[in-house]
Amino acid sequence: MIQLHNVSLAYQKDATALNNITLRIEKGEFVFLTGPSGAGKTTLLRLLYGALTPTRGQVLIDGQNVSRMTSAQIPQLRRMVGVVFQDFKLLPTRTVFENVAITLEVLGWGRADIGKKVMHILKQMDMESKLNLTPQRLSGGEQQRVALARALVNDPKVLLADEPTGNLDDANKNQILNIFKEANIRGTTVVVATHDRRLIDNSHKRLVTLSKGDIVEQVEKENISSYPV
Amino acid sequence: MNRWKKKTSPVIQSNKRAPLAGEGFGGRLGYFVRRALINLRQNIFVNVVTIGTITLALLIVALFLLVFVNLENAVGNWSERVQVTVYFDRELAPQEQAALRAKIISIPGANRVNYVSRDEALRRFKGRLRGQETLLEGVRPEVLPTSFEIALKRSSRDTQEVEAFVSVLKRIPGISEVQYGEEWVKRFNTFLNFMRLLGALLGSFLLIAVVFIVSNTIKLTIYARRDELEVMALVGATRFFIKAPFLIEGIIQGCVGSLIAIGLLLGLYEVFLQNAGSFLTFNPATSGLSFLPLEYVGGIVITGVALGFIGSLTSLKRFVNV
Repeated sequence: MIQLHNVSLAYQKDATALNNITLRIEKGEFVFLTGPSGAGKTTLLRLLYGALTPTRGQVLIDGQNVSRMTSAQIPQLRRMVGVVFQDFKLLPTRTVFENVAITLEVLGWGRADIGKKVMHILKQMDMESKLNLTPQRLSGGEQQRVALARALVNDPKVLLADEPTGNLDDANKNQILNIFKEANIRGTTVVVATHDRRLIDNSHKRLVTLSKGDIVEQVEKENISSYPV
Repeated sequence: MNRWKKKTSPVIQSNKRAPLAGEGFGGRLGYFVRRALINLRQNIFVNVVTIGTITLALLIVALFLLVFVNLENAVGNWSERVQVTVYFDRELAPQEQAALRAKIISIPGANRVNYVSRDEALRRFKGRLRGQETLLEGVRPEVLPTSFEIALKRSSRDTQEVEAFVSVLKRIPGISEVQYGEEWVKRFNTFLNFMRLLGALLGSFLLIAVVFIVSNTIKLTIYARRDELEVMALVGATRFFIKAPFLIEGIIQGCVGSLIAIGLLLGLYEVFLQNAGSFLTFNPATSGLSFLPLEYVGGIVITGVALGFIGSLTSLKRFVNV
């Protein structure tokens, strides 16, 4: 599903953010990216949703070469890639419902179908009672669930998360982790960048460790149930 | 705690596109307009600021135009005094009169031709010396010349036009003495051109200032909403899809702003200006100020809409980088 071949990225001439990375993530896999701050986790994720183009190398998502996409093709890529962030990136003036509906409006869905689908996913996230509230009135965990609903409402092929639990307490962390796992079971390839050791240890998933732009360690956990042979 | 329930709704499958409303340009347009209206409501403060800025800016432009249009009118009436007179030292026979009149009126630029007989000339002379009529005792009409007074069309009152007119006029057989107050015409036209230049200069400075202020205000309001642009881009919106509601918002802001500006101008005009224009009346025929002609009002609305639209477009170009 995701392939990186000898990918390098330099923001400036001397400052290399990623250094000749080769990584393959299969369809339906669940992968943690970890490493200290500045290791290149966020940069790697940004490559995967087309926010950055590599200085060298190829990035392939679902067989399509992201590094060669024109700016007109990027929206098509992003419609099959859901993204969530540490700071949620919800729109403060819009309600929970509207925040989630954006994804489907962009796809050109009709209003009735948007209503049904958004209600369905908000129910799954246990947020249906708050659909008319604006994000400021929600807790951090609730906001991240809304952000996840927005990312997952169109059943994307890939879900990317950048420190999704960075602002959350333990109970909320588990809840969010379970949502990731469930999305993964339903077939979505999940890549989570985090330096939260507990999150990684509790989930028993494949782990890729980055440091200073290099992959320094890869651990294949034995109980990766959805790993295709 | 697992709140992620496993059941999947039977009606919804992966990435299936709903085939209902919102299809085609018409449906999309409906969505964009609806979105723009919701955005206006949800970002009410920012929108009030923008509309207020457009209103004030256009009100200043409209006030300037009102003064300028009225000055032009007043000066235009003044130029009625640009007149060419042909003198004769004898009374013209009616046929001769008619023939000359026909020749004069056929010269391009001539508007009205008026024959002044000796009796008429004496009557006017007396009129000017009212109270001192005794001075004219014994003066016979025969000592006064007869004349044709020729009023020119408004477009033919420039110095060159008048000179060209006079040279054609002089070529008509039987016409020898022509007067048109060259000095006065020259000075008048110099003043008129100076006034127009000043008006155009001031007007363009004003317009540049207005465009600058409005476009910067719009830029700031769009900057304040850059998260929205970012999120739209993240969920796969095309550039057009992101921009369209903002552009419609810009059009609505411009339209509303310009209409309020015209409303305020009309209010100001009704309350203060309509009857207080005596300071501008060079000619007793014009009393008070007149309101802006309809095409100027239309122009202000179009300017407002263009400001809103183009201001949004250029600002978006800066912040939408899908």
